[in-house]
Amino acid sequence: MKIDELKVIKLPTTVHDLALVADGTRLWAACLDGGVYGVDLETEERVLLGEHTRYASGVHALPDGKTVISAGYDGALLWHDVEKRSCFRRVQAHEFWSWQSALSLDGKWIASSTGQYLCGGYKYEPAPEREPSVKVYDTKTGELKASFEHVPPVQSVAFSRDGRYVAAGNLMGEIRVWEVETQELVSTWTTGDFTGWGIIKGHYYTGGVFSLAFGPGDDLLYLIGMGTTRDPAAGNGKQLWQAYAWKEEGAPKEAKSSGDETGQGLMEAFAFHPSDDWFVMAGRLESGQWNVAAFDRESGNLRASYNYKGRVCQGAFLPDGDRFVLGGGVSQGELKEGKFRDYGRVWVSKAS
Amino acid sequence: MHRRRFLQGAVASGGVSTMSWSGLFSVPAFAEQVKRSNKRCILLWCCGGPSQFETWDPKPGTSTGGPFGSIPTAIPGVHVSELMPKCASILDKMAVIRSMKTNQSEHTQAINLLNRGDNPRPPFTRPTLGSVLAQQLGQLDSAIPNFVLLDPCPEGNEFKGFKAGNWAGWLGAEYAPVRVGGEFKIEDATRIPGFSEADHEEREALRRFFSKKFENEQKSAAAASHNAVYERVKGLMSCAHLFDLERLPQKDRERYGAGAFGQHALLARSLVEEGAPFVMVANGMPWDTHVFNHEIYQMVVPDLDNIVYQLVNDLKDRGMAEDTLVVVMGEFGRTPWINVKRGRDHYPNAWSLAMAGCGIQPGAVVGATDALGVDVTESPFTEKNLFATIYQALGIDPYAEYELPNLPTFHRVEERADPIKEVLA
Repeated sequence: MKIDELKVIKLPTTVHDLALVADGTRLWAACLDGGVYGVDLETEERVLLGEHTRYASGVHALPDGKTVISAGYDGALLWHDVEKRSCFRRVQAHEFWSWQSALSLDGKWIASSTGQYLCGGYKYEPAPEREPSVKVYDTKTGELKASFEHVPPVQSVAFSRDGRYVAAGNLMGEIRVWEVETQELVSTWTTGDFTGWGIIKGHYYTGGVFSLAFGPGDDLLYLIGMGTTRDPAAGNGKQLWQAYAWKEEGAPKEAKSSGDETGQGLMEAFAFHPSDDWFVMAGRLESGQWNVAAFDRESGNLRASYNYKGRVCQGAFLPDGDRFVLGGGVSQGELKEGKFRDYGRVWVSKAS
Repeated sequence: MHRRRFLQGAVASGGVSTMSWSGLFSVPAFAEQVKRSNKRCILLWCCGGPSQFETWDPKPGTSTGGPFGSIPTAIPGVHVSELMPKCASILDKMAVIRSMKTNQSEHTQAINLLNRGDNPRPPFTRPTLGSVLAQQLGQLDSAIPNFVLLDPCPEGNEFKGFKAGNWAGWLGAEYAPVRVGGEFKIEDATRIPGFSEADHEEREALRRFFSKKFENEQKSAAAASHNAVYERVKGLMSCAHLFDLERLPQKDRERYGAGAFGQHALLARSLVEEGAPFVMVANGMPWDTHVFNHEIYQMVVPDLDNIVYQLVNDLKDRGMAEDTLVVVMGEFGRTPWINVKRGRDHYPNAWSLAMAGCGIQPGAVVGATDALGVDVTESPFTEKNLFATIYQALGIDPYAEYELPNLPTFHRVEERADPIKEVLA
């Protein structure tokens, strides 16, 4: 297998999240300037769908094809009418940021995670949450379905494929899985593998679980991020994924990326190929060979990799399964002639 | 020994803080020149380079502003980052300088620059601010150290290197800091059980006699430093209890926040109350956010906000504000632009700091940057202006010449750089 770069589309600011429309001709991008943009993958034409007052962090296209829901660092969830290009509902989900949001596969629920990392101890252990760290809303009505407690900051959230469960991971590597209907906590465990404890430059945690994804049959929960690092300012933990049998007692670790095949840098994006035979993990390269790699699901081995020389925040496969899109950005760069360059990126790639 | 050969030897020895030129080239008359003053200074050292955007000079809604908003302050028309609501409420008791413009963008050089007030001129080592204030404000016969460095984080890359270096420079080891790190209490500063005070004094007198004899006969800088250390340890024995946070009211400890920086800021308040003229509070280099700038600032800025608020209010409530200067700064600011690691890098071109208390004009907000925070548009100030301001606020002549026989002429602040008049009361 090899990965080829087909096209690069520039946007004004980093793409934090993206969602493909059903036919794969265009995508919605949640960007660092707060904008939620529609981007035609063929013509590269860009339209502004709506705006958050702070960074936009999440975007999701409902199966009806008419509605897009976005989330932002303003703590809000916005419902957008695609046809009218207008926002028709605003729900203030959190007092703090929406770090990440997720849509159930059937489009019924949207979940959002939050939490400010405030000093709670001598060595900057996180203080307890001041608001529910995870909330689930009905996408049709905007009503709050459920609230869940966690230890902030909760940086990642995902629904099981059957929509029955929602999982959330935090900075300290604690994972909690709840049943949405009963709101029962069904599994919880902590791994220190994704978390750095800074002793070089300061006492605090960095890193954490940046993305979550349930595997086929919902038996395994995949965690994505960066391995431990002693220097919070270095960002040089191992590029890392791990899979846990979350339904079993103690949630044993079943698979993980091999240290021989990975470099250093934070991984943020994860997407299964439609066949479920392999998946893509992507992020930023600190040192090593790649920032995007395809792994065989069965063996966990690396099948192909590529270096886009930027930061990848999210990815998704097009319906044909041959191509995938990645959203992210490069450095903002210095101000030149009164302007910053466009530093958001959508990379269209082919895996063959 | 020829002076140049001595200097070469001193530099080759690693520039350790044991060097004491004043003990070699001047008569040991410093004791009778001690100034007695009630002026005090606390430096909250935000090592790593705190971002001006997320603290004192926010640019919300712009391409450089980041995800945080700004909030109004007690001074009409002046806003600070929304991460600092407590400082916003007392900004009329503080002064903010938004137009610092310095010339060092690497930690080691910038830490030296903002601690010494000038660029290096090898092989001569300019004393740090703390050492100068220890000499000017302290009392050599004081039981409490004249320069205390509270530093709970023992690591810190370039700051760790700086900590191991020569703080007191040409003033000599007497003015180097007593560092308390990692734990609240000073370990091994108590007399051995069963060992009487008379025994201790007797042995100390014998040790002092022989080592001083050696120091004078051999002109030994190392011995001079050794003696200075002993004098300090002797002082520490009598004041070790002052470093014990357990003796401070629990309510105060809770007010300052659970983190190491807050607890040590409270200790600093207590120490200046007990007579320490200069206390520097550091906490590693948490402000150096090349990675995860916003993710880390959402934690460390609220912590700093609370610490400054508690300290400024406490000093006022205790009647100490007029005699105690508080300085909140790092070695530079951070870039307006975001790097690919979601961080901000070093930026000396336009950055901010805050002051309060002794000699400072409450509510002064000085200088300005452009709409994106890329450059200073009004009243650029350098480290020399800053040091002249600090000295003047504390009643110390900024331009005094050091008495260093046979050495080049040095002044506390070179080139007669002006103090920042707008922040002086």
